Order: sequence, then C-alpha cells, then structure tokens
Amino acid sequence: MSETISWPLKITACLVLFFLVVPSFVVVPMSFSDSREMMFPPRGFSLMLYREYFAGPEWIAATLESTVVAAGAMILSVVAGVPAAYAIVRSRFPGIHLVRAMVMMPMLVPTVVSALGLYLYFARVGISGTTSAIILGHAIHNLPFVVLVVIAGMRQMNVNIEIAAQVLGASRMRTFFSVVLPPLMPSIVAAALFSFLLSFDEVVIAWFLTSPRALTLPIKMYSSIQWEVSPVLAAISTLLTLLSLVVCVVSLLLRKGEIST
Amino acid sequence: MKLSALSRSFDGGRTWFAAPAAILIAAVFVIPLATVVLQSFFRTRLTLDGYQLILSSTLFWRVLSTTLEITIQATILSVLLGYPLALFLSQLSQRRRALVLILVLLPFWTSILVKSFAFIVLLGEQGVLKTLLRSLFGIELGVPLVFSRVGVMVGMVHFLVPFTVFPILNNLLNQPPELRRAALVMGAKRWQLFFKVTLPLSLPAVAAAAIMSAVLSIGVFVTPALLGGRRDTMVANLIDYYTREVLDWNAAAALSILLLLVAGGLIWAVSRIDRSSRM
Repeated sequence: MSETISWPLKITACLVLFFLVVPSFVVVPMSFSDSREMMFPPRGFSLMLYREYFAGPEWIAATLESTVVAAGAMILSVVAGVPAAYAIVRSRFPGIHLVRAMVMMPMLVPTVVSALGLYLYFARVGISGTTSAIILGHAIHNLPFVVLVVIAGMRQMNVNIEIAAQVLGASRMRTFFSVVLPPLMPSIVAAALFSFLLSFDEVVIAWFLTSPRALTLPIKMYSSIQWEVSPVLAAISTLLTLLSLVVCVVSLLLRKGEIST
Repeated sequence: MKLSALSRSFDGGRTWFAAPAAILIAAVFVIPLATVVLQSFFRTRLTLDGYQLILSSTLFWRVLSTTLEITIQATILSVLLGYPLALFLSQLSQRRRALVLILVLLPFWTSILVKSFAFIVLLGEQGVLKTLLRSLFGIELGVPLVFSRVGVMVGMVHFLVPFTVFPILNNLLNQPPELRRAALVMGAKRWQLFFKVTLPLSLPAVAAAAIMSAVLSIGVFVTPALLGGRRDTMVANLIDYYTREVLDWNAAAALSILLLLVAGGLIWAVSRIDRSSRM
C-alpha cells in the first residue's frame, strides 16, 4: 500500500508494544544480580540466583514434576486432538458440529469452574493429588488449542490426494497415517510445543489438584510470590521467558506458510 | 462409482477419528462439570441452600460488583490499547507484520506468574518505576501501584491486549481495499478515511474483541490474587476460598454455576455478533 503510517499511530503502537514486552525483559537483568535485595538496575553481576535455583532441591523437584506433567498432557492432547481435527475438517456427518463444539468447550468455560469440577470429581474417584490427575486436567485444557492449530494446518491440504489414496485401495487408517499425517507434521509439532508450554505454565487447574506429592513449578512460584517474593524467581522467570521465546519462534517458523494475519 | 459418491461414502467413517477426543472430553470434562452442577444442589440432601447462601451473603455481592467493575474497566482499556496496535500492524508489510507479531505473541505465551512477578518488581514500592521517578525527577508517587486496583488493572490489560489485537487485525486486513482507495480518490482526508470507513467497518470486530476480553477477565484467578489488594477479590478467588478455606463445596459449586451462566451469556452474545458480521 502506498500510504505511510502516521506518526501518532506509530508512537501509540510502539508504546503499547513496549508495555507488552517490558515484563518479559525486566526479569533478565534482575536475574544476574549479586545481592538478595531486589533493586533495579542491579549493582553487580553474578550467577548467584541461578546457582540458588539449580542447587535448591525443592525448585528442581517442582521443575521435574512440571516436565512430567507437561509431557503427559502434551502426549494425551496430541493423540486425541490430531485425529479429532481430521474428523472435524473432513467429516460431513451432521453431528460433527456437536463434536466440534464439545472439543472447544474447555476453552470457553472459565478455568476455575472446570478446575473445581476436576477437584470434586477426582476426590470422588480417589485420584486427587496425584500427578495423573493434573495430567488429565491439563490434557483437556490444552485439547482445544491443539485442535485449532492442527485444523489450521489441515485447511492447507488438498483433499484429492486422500481420495486418490482411497481409490487406490488404501484403508481409512492407512490414508490417515501415510497420506494425511506426514505433510501435517509441522503443525502437529507446533501444536505439541504449545501444549507443552501451556501445561508447563498452567496455574489454576494445578492449584486445585495439587498436593505435596504433586507440586508443579507454577504452584511453587505462586506460593513464593504470594508469601515472600523470593529473588530466585527472577532466575526462574528468565528461564521461562527463554522457553516461551523459543516455542514462539519455532512454532512461527513451522507454521510460516499458513499464517495469513 | 463416481468420485463424489466415493468421497461421501467415507466421509461418515472419518467421524470415528474424533472418538479418542470424545472419550477424553466425556470422562474429564463433561462428568466433572456435571459433578459441579449436582454438587451445587446437594448438601446432605437435594436443596437450594447453596444458592440461597451465596445470594444472601454480602460478601458475594461485594465480590461480584468488584468482578464486574474490573471486567468492564479492563475490557475498555484493552480495546483502547489493542485497536491502535492492530491498526498499526494492518498497515505494515507482511514480513514486518510477522516480526512484530512475535512481540505481541510473546506475552501471550509468557507464564502469568512471570508477568505478575515482573510487575511486582516494576511497580512495587522499591520497584523500578518508583525508583526511577524518585532518583531522576524527585517525584514521590503516593498511590500504591501493586497490591491494589491499579496493579490488577495493569496485569489484566497486559493479559487481554493480545486477545483484542487478533480479531481487530483480522477484520482490518479483510476490509476490501477498494473502499479505502475509493474514499482517497474522492478526496477524503486521512482522519475522514479512518472515522468514516475503517472504524465503522471494524466495529463488529471491536464488539467481539470486547466481549471476548470480558469472558476472559470475568473468571480470572491469578492476577487479582497476586497483584491485587484485599479488596480486589474476584469471583474465581471466592470459589477457591469456599473450596479450600470454608470447605463448603456446595456453596463453591453454586458460585461456579452462577459464573458459568454469566460467561455463557457473554459467549452467546459474541457468537451472535460473529454471525451477523460475516460478510
């Protein structure tokens, strides 16, 4: 377009962008501080806070717990979500709209409500406070995101190739695994990364389902912010921001072709 | 057999690929929600006591009005900040837009705890902002910027802006360029172009973005708990309070159903706008 962008708009937009990114970056200099006092800019440079994080058995245990939970939730949500996306895009069965609505529901219901539901239900079933309980809760929470990402990738694909495979005698399963899945891999990997990150950072569901046996990193951080605002949080926050940045960039690269906006 | 007939014949079969998701949803989402509904009517026997208790408590009404207040303020602010950003993005070249979008997406994917911690560091009494104002300008801000309504608002708006940018950007990019060109050819000034063409055409997206932010903010839990003061408790925090402190699951469930109804109403509204704005 030939028009240039007006200055007031440029300045406003840059201020908003600054507001959006500033929290992600303010934690970085703080994390290299050499004192336990939180001041900005920090006086000296040291890796003290990182040492404190890596040497703290509680923090490492919570990080491992979160990794297990996020990996479990990622596997479940991808295994359920990818075929569901395929069904939603390709099936012309009238009831598929209902399926679609059901799959999107967890995104629309306030998280605190589903968290309470899981809390009450798991207490009754007798798995409350376990790692599996949090994995199941997160898998449901992530499912709509996985389905949305995979649907977007699937819309790029040509249905005729699938029809050709079937005409040549491939079964429905064979078509799905040998024709549909391979070109869809970038979207599936992006969806899996999103799912992992969502679960790794999730607070509310974990907060309702947690127990001393199953304490995730966000829960540990949440209590830490609430009670003491420990400076170690700066180091952890920097590492988490790095993780978000990596996921964000990798998934954008993977989905390069399909993003229209 | 014709190709179209063939493709129809296996269409139905593909529905089965949704089976794993359907089972997961039924077992870990529908049944838990049903448990909440049942629990909301059950206190040793079937009863409406939970609802009665909630609706007659002054605490509930205070928390509800706080929740609505924060929701409305945060929604208006996020649309006001998200719109210019979306407009700016819509005028960039595709390459640049993709790069700037990374900046918009980064907070979207950053842990809410990292953001809350960062805002405490930025806005606290010994925080970055107050220290800078003190040492550079000798200004002493009397207002607490965190553990207060201001803190909640900053956290909420930061969380909501990306959600308002995307629908508005989508709308702006899909507006037919001929309309803008026609207006320019007819001699419209820039501000006229914006106020008479671009803005009116984008209003459905603005409404959708506003309702989406309202849906997201009405159930918010972490931000008021970490960045708010005692008086900034929202409905989600009250549900937690009834569940873990009072141990009154019946009241907690009733409260959840009320929250669900409000959120459901808002989502219904957004789906209507979506339908009517489709060109």
